[in-house]
Amino acid sequence: MIDNVIHAALVMTTPVLLAAMGGLINRIGGIVNIGLDSMMLAGALVAFIVASNNGSWPLALAAAGLSGGLVALLMTLTITRLEAKEIIVGLGFNILVAGLVRFFLKTAYDTSGTLNLPDISRLPRIDIAFIADIPVIGAVFSGHDVLTWFAWIMVPLTALFLARTRPGLRLRAAGAAPAATQALGLNPLTIRDASSVFAGFMSGLAGAYLSIGVVGIFSEGITAGRGFIALAAFYFGAGRPGLTSVGALLFGFFDALQIRLQGRGVPAELVQTLPYAMVIVVLTVISLAARKNRGVRS
Amino acid sequence: MITILSASIGRMRSGGTWLSSVVKTLAPLVLALLLGAVILAVAGHDPFEVYRLLVAESFGSAKRVAATFAASTPLIFTGIATALAFRAGAFNVGVEGCVNVGGLAAAFVGFTFVSLSGPVLLPAAVLAAVIAGALWMLVPALLKSRLNVDEVVTTLMLNFIAVSLTAWLVNGPLLAPGSANSATPIVADAARLPKLMRGSSLNAGFVIALGLVVLYWLWDRWTALGYETRIAGLNARFASASGMNVPGLLFRMMLLSGAIGGLAGGVHALGNVFRYVSGFSPGYGFVGIAVALLGRGNAWGILLAALLFGALSTSGATIQLFSDVPIEIVNILQGLIMIFAVVRFSNIWKVRRT
Amino acid sequence: MRIGARGVTRRFGALTANDSVDFSAFAGTIHAIVGGNGAGKSTLMRILQGMDRPDSGTVIVNDQPVTLSGADAAFGLGIGMVHQEFMLVPGLTLLENLVLAHEPVKAFGVVDKAAAMQAARKLEKETGVHLDWSMRVDDAPVHVRQILEILRLLHRGADVLILDEPTAVLAPAQIRDLMALLKRLRDEGRTILFISHKLDEVMAVSDDITVMRSGRIIRSMAAAATSKAELAELMIGETLLDIVAHKSEVGETVLKAEKISVVDADQVERLKGISLSVAKGEIVAIAGVAGNGQEELTSALTGLSRLRKGRVELCSVDVTREGIAARRAAGLAYLSPDRAAEGLCLTASIVENAIAGHHRRKEFLSAGFLKLGRIRHHVDALLDSYSVKRAASSLPVGRLSGGNQQRVAIARELDGDPACLIACQPTRGVDIHGIAFIHKCLLEYRDRGGAVLLISEELDEIITLADRILVIYNGEICGELARGSDVEKIGGLMLGGVR
Repeated sequence: MIDNVIHAALVMTTPVLLAAMGGLINRIGGIVNIGLDSMMLAGALVAFIVASNNGSWPLALAAAGLSGGLVALLMTLTITRLEAKEIIVGLGFNILVAGLVRFFLKTAYDTSGTLNLPDISRLPRIDIAFIADIPVIGAVFSGHDVLTWFAWIMVPLTALFLARTRPGLRLRAAGAAPAATQALGLNPLTIRDASSVFAGFMSGLAGAYLSIGVVGIFSEGITAGRGFIALAAFYFGAGRPGLTSVGALLFGFFDALQIRLQGRGVPAELVQTLPYAMVIVVLTVISLAARKNRGVRS
Repeated sequence: MITILSASIGRMRSGGTWLSSVVKTLAPLVLALLLGAVILAVAGHDPFEVYRLLVAESFGSAKRVAATFAASTPLIFTGIATALAFRAGAFNVGVEGCVNVGGLAAAFVGFTFVSLSGPVLLPAAVLAAVIAGALWMLVPALLKSRLNVDEVVTTLMLNFIAVSLTAWLVNGPLLAPGSANSATPIVADAARLPKLMRGSSLNAGFVIALGLVVLYWLWDRWTALGYETRIAGLNARFASASGMNVPGLLFRMMLLSGAIGGLAGGVHALGNVFRYVSGFSPGYGFVGIAVALLGRGNAWGILLAALLFGALSTSGATIQLFSDVPIEIVNILQGLIMIFAVVRFSNIWKVRRT
Repeated sequence: MRIGARGVTRRFGALTANDSVDFSAFAGTIHAIVGGNGAGKSTLMRILQGMDRPDSGTVIVNDQPVTLSGADAAFGLGIGMVHQEFMLVPGLTLLENLVLAHEPVKAFGVVDKAAAMQAARKLEKETGVHLDWSMRVDDAPVHVRQILEILRLLHRGADVLILDEPTAVLAPAQIRDLMALLKRLRDEGRTILFISHKLDEVMAVSDDITVMRSGRIIRSMAAAATSKAELAELMIGETLLDIVAHKSEVGETVLKAEKISVVDADQVERLKGISLSVAKGEIVAIAGVAGNGQEELTSALTGLSRLRKGRVELCSVDVTREGIAARRAAGLAYLSPDRAAEGLCLTASIVENAIAGHHRRKEFLSAGFLKLGRIRHHVDALLDSYSVKRAASSLPVGRLSGGNQQRVAIARELDGDPACLIACQPTRGVDIHGIAFIHKCLLEYRDRGGAVLLISEELDEIITLADRILVIYNGEICGELARGSDVEKIGGLMLGGVR
């Protein structure tokens, strides 16, 4: 039982974690990416088609990442170059891409809603001998696919990237003080664009995980709003990769839990509201703390 | 960023040449139609034929016009709800949540107090929707006006909470007896909004919506509150220095925005669906943002934009019957219009020149 | 000559910010540039640093005429500037800010922290200052941020350092440290240009001094060859404006402040127990160099910010706890110094601007509805009486010229004859005709029995208008002078107590 819950929670965490890491980088660069869900959806579809046509999951992943990145590039250019409000553009992209995907399904496959393709190359699971049979530890470390491993490796890598590397430093500068960054001869807009493309790439992978990692089928509602859960996760994490991953894990756990609790009288829908409610609480607490620091002046 | 937006919304009011504001309003629409045409052409459809069909299916006959009016009814409400908050400088993207809680509240009153007569029950149900919508905005309004917590995130998050919470209610406590599909019981006949046309879903909700447009116009143009709200949204420091209570205005306008969002849900429940079901709103609140932006916050602009989006969705639904054009072309156009409505077109020109 | 200018002229519209300026600074010297507001100091510095280009004349670097295409080009020649608004990134440590955009890296783009630290230590050794490099910039006090800006210039190889009013934000002890640092850098052969208002520190640290006034260089000289008194005289010049005869009778006190203190977000006391009073029929002026507490005094008196200590009375009513709305209702009017951000709403129409704050008067409002016809009529009559040139009152006020914008603002504030007007920088960004008009408005208002608190950085304006002059320095009133006092005496007080 507990092994199953752990395993399911990790499975639910992976797509959220991938997209949240992308969204985190994007936000530190100065853009709140509301369009993560659209990039996930694009990645899910492209990965699914490539995995069927080529039968190669690595190729499918690459294509998913690139397609997510492409959507992000279009989005970020309207934000940074055409000065459009990121919130509206993000919501607009969610509507647009969802429409395009369904339009494409009907046009190219004459199907609505779900797409079934033959010979899907699924993400392989990595079973680790010996460990697999140990309770709890086995569920934590064994039986996961490459993307899950990648997602978790990205957490410390992202932290290192931000804290230690030159591009990480410049990204933080571009997000926190674009004018000062520009005065030093760097281009904050280009840095922001790069962070958006990264967010798109990660979200594309998250989408691929849903379509060729978990189920092996594509449906138009496959993301189930996970782009927004990812948004909740990086707001929960307040700019910190470790805390963001905790948020993603927590939300993955809720996700896994609600399925299990359904039969036991605990309403799944109420569990679903928890990630979003937690974000509101976290923002309130942050604001109260800031107010206290500022003293009485408001 | 918000000031840029509200400035662009407010500019209509205070000059700018008439022509330039018409061009600015039409540009997103034209660009979206052009890009939509490219997508249609790539998919092997004749864009002109599709657009002709869309127009015919929205305005071709009295029945089709009625369908368009019916489809635009919730969008008029959500467009005004959004514009009202934008005017005050609050970026409320949570109208979708208000639509859901408002719809459920109206339905609840409508199927619970069935013994009441029509003249009491219907207003009570509508009032319940209004109150539910306003209360739903209470937390973000307090957080924004007192603690300056970013209202974009809180209202966005509350949308998802509203959807899940109402889904729980209609799956459990409020589930219609004997029903398996996440829906409340049907409301009493007395709670239904009267139909305006036989064989059409057009109902008195459209009249309420038109009344609201007039009220919004009056409020915006003629009242002290509308004036103060506009000024506070354009320049909060100036408004404060002039003695206006900016946090108070923000708070009240966010609640009012929520109330109108709730009204959208109530009217939809009592005029169209006659109950609340999970998935009740196909994104009325989000399309309302596009409506408010395209209408540039102006009462008549919002009405026209809502009619346009209503026409798109109603004709998109029937166009499938006559051709093999997927209805999703409508979503594509909606998304494109939304994006282009906030793009600074002068920059496209700049980029091209360099 | 390490850096200088030959015949540099720079115009902004009708304003000549620099008028054939010849300037020379030599390697290994500290050169102070002093002058009043709008004397053209900052423009000259921006030109020397490549951020602005002269309309005519050239910049000279190492005795050679050069054309600087931008700040980067100036940097290539060893010229760097510390701006009044610091260019630091919050959230990053001091060390990260030091190396940003020129980070030493190891493999995989990892910043070589050891190398960065080594560079920081080397700078510390050179300059004798010590910083906690792991501290985040947000947590660093302002003098540390300033030193960091200077060290960053050194790190990037600058040997000409331009500092724009570096001491404006510092406490006395920190100013001494900064001065010691500048001397040390000078002794190592660097050239330092710094802009200041404060004659004490100018005399204490500089080798050469250049005085600017109205876009011209009045005189350049060795510091040893001049005195504070002479500098004050050169900076202020002779006042050419006519002093308007005082007509009206002074009546009862309208605005009264008792020992008001204000602290800023960093708990630094910006106002140190100021008391003042303004009576009917008089213009009381607050004279002072920018940044000595004028903004804090304004927001304390208008109710835009809270007091820490003290008491404010308006028409004998205690309004200390009231906000601006209640104070306005009690008869206060406030002409904001920041016309674009606070004084007007540039994107709103002229009517909407002119009526703001008056729109809830009984004559304009019935049952929550505005009587737009009557408002428009009222505003048009009001603006006509102030000769506001406009095509239509429905146009955005931002389309008007600066002078006409200010007329709209002053017309609104004086509409309905308030008991008291706090007028801050009333002629900022206004041309000469506009200035005369606004002065006339203020005088007429006073003669009608109005009480005016005039807060201005323009000494000429104060001398022309004021019945009494209070000089503010460092958050305190350091002197009160009667009308007709010696200009140099006022100037001396403003600049830090040369009496």
